[in-house]
Amino acid sequence: MIYSKKMGDITISIINTIADGYGVEAEDGQKVFELILKAFEDKKKVTLSFRNIEMLTTAFLNTAVGQLYKDFSEEYIKENLKVSDISDSGKVALKRVVETAKLYYKDPDALKRSIDEIAKD
Amino acid sequence: MNRFNQINDSFESYQSLIQLYEKYKDESFGDIHLEFHKFFAANMSAALGAVLDKFTANLNSIHFDSIDPQIEAILLKNNFLTYFGKQKAVDTNKTTIKYQRLDSTDGRYFKSYVIKELIEGHNSDLPQMSKGVKEKIVEAICEIFVNAQIHSETEFIYTCGQFFPNKNKIEFTIVDIGIGFREKINKRFETNLRAIKAIKWAVEEKRTTKEGISGGLGLAVLREFVTANKGKMQIVSNDGFYQFNNTGEIQKEFRGEFPGTIVNLQFRTDDDNNYLLKDEININDIF
Repeated sequence: MIYSKKMGDITISIINTIADGYGVEAEDGQKVFELILKAFEDKKKVTLSFRNIEMLTTAFLNTAVGQLYKDFSEEYIKENLKVSDISDSGKVALKRVVETAKLYYKDPDALKRSIDEIAKD
Repeated sequence: MNRFNQINDSFESYQSLIQLYEKYKDESFGDIHLEFHKFFAANMSAALGAVLDKFTANLNSIHFDSIDPQIEAILLKNNFLTYFGKQKAVDTNKTTIKYQRLDSTDGRYFKSYVIKELIEGHNSDLPQMSKGVKEKIVEAICEIFVNAQIHSETEFIYTCGQFFPNKNKIEFTIVDIGIGFREKINKRFETNLRAIKAIKWAVEEKRTTKEGISGGLGLAVLREFVTANKGKMQIVSNDGFYQFNNTGEIQKEFRGEFPGTIVNLQFRTDDDNNYLLKDEININDIF
């Protein structure tokens, strides 16, 4: 069972969604993202459970969570998404992914500018 | 005859593999003769395997005419020579990390292989690494595999590693035969960077070629860990060579091109940093 319902909110278990204790591949992150998206579209608040997840890559977290900032505001995500049972190293990685995503969607031309700068060197 | 006298992680070693590739890249139905003497770093099997597969795809035959016994022993233990018809040997010292050619979609298998080869298979007989260091090494290697999977458009990914117990280090090499940093970045941004500049751009934090989704943290995370661990990372992509360690960066260009990308990682096993320190991030302050 992927979802558990409590007081109208949704808990999404990562291990159950990807059937693995290691969040490594971007493809698996996409499965998590689609479930969060589905819940958000139905105006549900989501708790993302990292229970029994032993390792996370930034590629997985970018896809699972980072791309939410494309369609939803920081305020909406802050209000409607929570995480539970995440390891300390997972927290560090997720925070970094989130900060990167916020900057990326705020300034989509930054990457092209950085290319122009290195081309000039 | 192609004689290799010393293959390790030096610029010259990569150059000699590139020269081999350039010499035969357009040949079909030929016979390619190889000799290996003095030293061959086992993890470099991944780079050699990728080049030799390019040749066998053109129906060339590979002949290992002469290999020094100690090199042959290690390349049998890590299974490399079994891909070329030799009988495999048992690794009683358990210092090898097996050579593998994987489909680029085999991420789950890769992850299990890394855990088995780096952690579970070497619990008792190798320098004791702290749990934190082991986890960081597996995480770094997985980041690089996923990078190759997402960006390189490769069919296969080649991996191999080696423990060097006397030097307290592990080397692990991941190779793809995809389009390389240069083409990927130039296509995405309609620019014309040389390979070395493309690599230099990509290793900085938040640099990604993905469209519509943020990224660019994998190599940055790796570089930070390499700094803390006093390890080393090298990237060979097309004619670009980039090396980073705690003494700084080196960027050079090869004569000729490697047909894809090599990422070679060196980690110290005697790292006593505590990577499991509790951090100060509040779980309610992530978003």
